[in-house]
Amino acid sequence: MLQTKYGFLLFVLLIIPPIRNLMESVMVVHMLVQIPLLIISGWLISGYFQCKFPGFFSKWNSNGVPGIILVVFLITYWMIPRTLDEALNAWYIELFKIVSLPFLVGIPLQDSWKKLNSLGRSFIIFNFILMSGLMAWLYIDAPVRLCNNYLEVEQKVLGWGFLIITVSIVLYMLQNVFTDHSEGT
Amino acid sequence: METTMKSRSNLVVSYITVGGIVIIVMMIFGILMLLAQGGVLDLPAASFYQFLTIHGTGMVGAAALAAAGVMWYFLSHYVDLSKKVMSINLVLFLVGVVMVIIGVFSFKYASSWTFLYPLPALSASAWGTVGPLLYLFGMLILGIGFLLFYLDSGRAIIKKHGSLAKGLGWDVISGKKSEKDAPSGAVVASTMVTIVNITALTAGATVLIMNIINVINPAITFDPLLAKNLTYAFGHIFANSIIYMGVIAVYEILPRYTNRPWKSSKAFLIAWTMSTVFTLIIYTHHLLMDSVMPNWMLIMGQILSYANGLPVLVVTAYGALMIVYKSGIKWDMASGLIYMSMFGWVVGVVPAIVDATIVVNHVMHNTKWVPGHFHMYMALGACAMIFGFMYFLAKEDSNMKTYILDKIAFIAFTLSIVGLSGSFLVSGALSTPRRWATHIPEWMAPAVFGAVAGVFAVLSVTVFVIHFIRYINKRNKVNAKEDLKDKKLA
Repeated sequence: MLQTKYGFLLFVLLIIPPIRNLMESVMVVHMLVQIPLLIISGWLISGYFQCKFPGFFSKWNSNGVPGIILVVFLITYWMIPRTLDEALNAWYIELFKIVSLPFLVGIPLQDSWKKLNSLGRSFIIFNFILMSGLMAWLYIDAPVRLCNNYLEVEQKVLGWGFLIITVSIVLYMLQNVFTDHSEGT
Repeated sequence: METTMKSRSNLVVSYITVGGIVIIVMMIFGILMLLAQGGVLDLPAASFYQFLTIHGTGMVGAAALAAAGVMWYFLSHYVDLSKKVMSINLVLFLVGVVMVIIGVFSFKYASSWTFLYPLPALSASAWGTVGPLLYLFGMLILGIGFLLFYLDSGRAIIKKHGSLAKGLGWDVISGKKSEKDAPSGAVVASTMVTIVNITALTAGATVLIMNIINVINPAITFDPLLAKNLTYAFGHIFANSIIYMGVIAVYEILPRYTNRPWKSSKAFLIAWTMSTVFTLIIYTHHLLMDSVMPNWMLIMGQILSYANGLPVLVVTAYGALMIVYKSGIKWDMASGLIYMSMFGWVVGVVPAIVDATIVVNHVMHNTKWVPGHFHMYMALGACAMIFGFMYFLAKEDSNMKTYILDKIAFIAFTLSIVGLSGSFLVSGALSTPRRWATHIPEWMAPAVFGAVAGVFAVLSVTVFVIHFIRYINKRNKVNAKEDLKDKKLA
């Protein structure tokens, strides 16, 4: 229950206009801090919704696959440069961002992650390595300004941020598969 | 347990059959291209490049699928693999193949298998947008299937052995475990293939999506050198891994024929670890002509290509010689093809090592010398392992007999592939450029010779595949009778 409170608190903090504006004024913070924090807030409050609507989750997300497909599609959508621009230009896209990331990404991600088997989890992690690597390349290498609201130098910084994330996940996976998982060790 | 084994074999049989049939079709495209280059067939240049694209893509894809079947068959004796994932991979493979075929033949897409950026988007109106999108998405779907397949093998190896490090036998190398407790050759090779192919497929998917973005919106451009690096990191590793999957058949079949175990010694394990590392980083030998590449990468490409040719090849070829020596082995089609694959591998790798030398590469890399290498290496090495496995499975499962025609096909296959590869190597020595639809008269004779050799090769492979299909028929009949008997008893 404490976790749910922290989740709601984080969510409220993130949508307070001064904080929201501050985060969205810097491209790398918008993409790599605000968006992940909105997802984390959804992850934290998911327990409340799972207790409140247990039938819904067991009926619609029994093996975790529908939930994770929704998560992958929405994360892909929010990685596209244009969506960042639109969130700043149109209030309804901003509203969609604030609603979709905690409630349609964070909650189903938490629900699906524990239901997926190790193969499914590995596939999602490798999919994320690919996506973040791709975004790193796109933002660093694109010869044009991808967002009207941000400078070209900002998209390069964002690209390097994605690259650091990609390398970090690769290193994590390497240590994970090369360290011993035998029973009793 | 019996049902499990039967259904396991069903999936493996499907992999091998699809692989075998696609290989035959691709060989026919290869012959048509050689006939066109030899001036015998009047083939429009656009059609030649479509054939080139489908031949390269189809051959590597089909051989990889069949080799994955070999790997799965033997690895499933040691670890618990998922049949569901195996089936999904097959379905995704077929979907991807259909998309690639439609892209190439209906929408005239012809960038060769390399889909080298920015060619998919810049075709000088040779093709439009739909063709490359179908091809690139088809390849992406194929890649997703294979990625799932290798993730599953990695999961199963970690579950059984504890980690991929233990799958490679690092605890034996470091002396924590004795050699008698080392993982089998099948597990070691599968671990290596899992590591390198997951890396390759991730790199491949990245560059495929980049190309897709560029095709949809050509205004968004990317660094072509990085794209080429990723393309070859994918293509080289994935194609190279076929022989590392096929070699599992050598480790598993020869011991059964000789009644001697294939031991995973420390030298064997070290060799496989070295090949794991080298295979991941030697793709730069495909970029030796790119003067803008950092020098250290090119030098590394040359030195490690020399090194990569040796460890696994030496321990495997030496191991094969030792296991057979004075063993009283009874030679048949399976053992013959498996043993001959060692010859194909050893001989086939030599032109590659020569071409990996920077000064030679600058002269030879864009000639038919390179197809000379990979036709020998893939056909007489990797594919011979797969065909050997086909005969092994037919004998093991249904005690299928072979006939004189099979033996003739064996000899014809060996000689024709030597002839075909030799014709490419001679063409290379004559400075005949590769990937050219038309040849000047001085270049034509080896192409015609290669086409004739190719006809004998395709006939031989057809005999191999027909033998395998006969085995499937026999097996299906036996299974149907057994099912009927079970029903009556019930």
